[in-house]
Amino acid sequence: MALPARSNEQILRLIAQQQVSLQLSTLELGFLVALHLQTQGRGLTSFNEAQLEDTFIEASLLLMPEADQRKRRATHAIKRLREQRLLARVDGQGVTRAGEFTLSRLALGIVEFYLEDGVLTRESLLLLTSSLRGALEQVRDAARDSPDAERWQTAVVGPLRVTIAELVDGIERRQRGLDLQQEDFRSEIRRLLEEDWFAALTRCQALLDATSATLQELNHVLLRDSTHLLALLQDIEEHAIAAGQPEAEAAARRLMDQVDRIAAWGAARQRAFSDYFQYVHRYLRDVVRLDPSRALTQRLRDQLAGRGARFALTHSAAGPLQMLRTVVSVPDKPKVVRPRAPREKPLAPDEGEDREAILTERVQGALEQGARALSSVTALVTEALPAPERFVEAGRVAHKAAQLARAQSEIDRAWVAAGDGLVIEEWSLDPGDSSE
Amino acid sequence: MNKSGYALLQDVIMDPAFPDLDVALRRGRHVDRDDTDWYALLLDAQELLEEFYRRYGCELIHKTDGYFYLLPTGDKVSRKQLGGTDMLVGQALALLYLDPSTIERGGAVTHEELVAQLSTVLGTDTLVAAFNPSKRKRFDERIAQRNVRQRVAEAVRRLASMGFVDLPEADRVRLRSSLMRFAEPVRGLSEPAEALAKLVAQGEVALAPLEKEEGDDIGLDAPDAPDDSAPAEPDIEAPEEEADEAEEPA
Repeated sequence: MALPARSNEQILRLIAQQQVSLQLSTLELGFLVALHLQTQGRGLTSFNEAQLEDTFIEASLLLMPEADQRKRRATHAIKRLREQRLLARVDGQGVTRAGEFTLSRLALGIVEFYLEDGVLTRESLLLLTSSLRGALEQVRDAARDSPDAERWQTAVVGPLRVTIAELVDGIERRQRGLDLQQEDFRSEIRRLLEEDWFAALTRCQALLDATSATLQELNHVLLRDSTHLLALLQDIEEHAIAAGQPEAEAAARRLMDQVDRIAAWGAARQRAFSDYFQYVHRYLRDVVRLDPSRALTQRLRDQLAGRGARFALTHSAAGPLQMLRTVVSVPDKPKVVRPRAPREKPLAPDEGEDREAILTERVQGALEQGARALSSVTALVTEALPAPERFVEAGRVAHKAAQLARAQSEIDRAWVAAGDGLVIEEWSLDPGDSSE
Repeated sequence: MNKSGYALLQDVIMDPAFPDLDVALRRGRHVDRDDTDWYALLLDAQELLEEFYRRYGCELIHKTDGYFYLLPTGDKVSRKQLGGTDMLVGQALALLYLDPSTIERGGAVTHEELVAQLSTVLGTDTLVAAFNPSKRKRFDERIAQRNVRQRVAEAVRRLASMGFVDLPEADRVRLRSSLMRFAEPVRGLSEPAEALAKLVAQGEVALAPLEKEEGDDIGLDAPDAPDDSAPAEPDIEAPEEEADEAEEPA
């Protein structure tokens, strides 16, 4: 399909959009084949309507001898083939005169598939590869000598895309034909054995040998010629790179991939056939030759169905080898437990602070600073304390001041403020003779 | 030096392929032409290895179909008999091996074809009963048929581990020539019973116990192991847990 720029999804959507479908009866297929054979036999390039009808009637006489109304059937078949784009009108005259028709590319593909003229043989492969080689040599020479872009297009890119691509496609198409033939070949071997069993031995052997030889020859030719073809394409690619011709380079690379694929096909098919060949040979030797009357199958079937004594095959059943390893003594691991702390802490001596000494020091300090009234000593000592504690501390200050100084007071003692928020009865203090 | 190129047993044992081959043979593997390296080694060193294994009380058997296996005849290497379902599946595979239709695909069959073969020869009811070894006879048809497919697949895997078949990809079983061992009692010109007696005497096969399970056309000499992977179904009893293969004491 010539839709290289589109993705797979786009192509599938397009097909769904166009609602592409094909529906062909055996008669219609026969009609297409008859048209193709007439094209080849009589050298016709197109058919007029009368020729189409005549060809259909001839085909229907062979394929459906009991059918009636053949002309009507012909009209209907031609209409269906036109709708499915299998017959194309080539005269372009419309209603002015009767049309000229030819088989479309699609119809030709279908017909060629059924005629099986596309199977790869040694002869066709040799012909195709030698043509390919000649064409590639010309393209290589042109690539080497082409002076300008126009010449590159006409002498290199064009042939690579059309002539040479067609030849390579031809080989691939024939390879697919051979694949189909291989499937038929396997079915044929099976059919021969099912029908004739021992009598088919020689024919099976001959078929195997012939096919094996064909595949070997094809693979040999493919291996040999693909090397030459790849070398030529590589030369063309190098010339294209040197001349700065990306189109030619891409075309050469695409063809190299295709040639690689063709060579890989040969090796893969030969490998697959080699396995099959060995298996069938073994089967012919071990099964067919040793059981010419095919009695073993029936006896085994009876055995499986339970006729006769039941039995079981004996087999060796040694255990796995004991691999002894070096034993390393592992010390006992201690039990995993939570670390425990002593429930009670041991007693420790706590010196603490001597509040009495501190108070004595502070009161003494206040007196030394010149405070001579209890209110001023109290204010100095308690100024740093928080308010709630001052009241308690004031009593202790009065007691200590009385110890450190001689205290005197009026009979009717006056209440005075001692610092912030504290009011006390005033004493006068004389530190001079405190011992009295 | 013998014709093979191995002068001494030591040369065979020193072959890099020998340890794996030896372990495989002792574990019941059948080695055929598809095991290219092992088969070549066995062919080349056949005389030396026959003598070697005889010292372990085993016979290295080489069949004309082109495969080797180790058959314990003494008590130095333990031996087993294949289970009942393995025997049924093995015989069905051997039948397929003989069928010309399988050569079209190079000797490969699908699990579906195998179950179809078993069903054709045994009949559906017998097949279901043989692969559902239950004391109770109440089968859910769908579950029972699924059990058959599962047990056939398990048997195929066991047979593959012994070299009777290959499992190149899912649902594809490649038949090997060693499957012809299942047809041994019916291969010769003699009566099957006579051939079987001879094989029993050689230690190649063991006769299954005579008692049959009630209602079974084909009783199983050694029922299969249960399928642990099968989901529990409330409407059918679970398969009995019994040994897969009958092992003889070494």
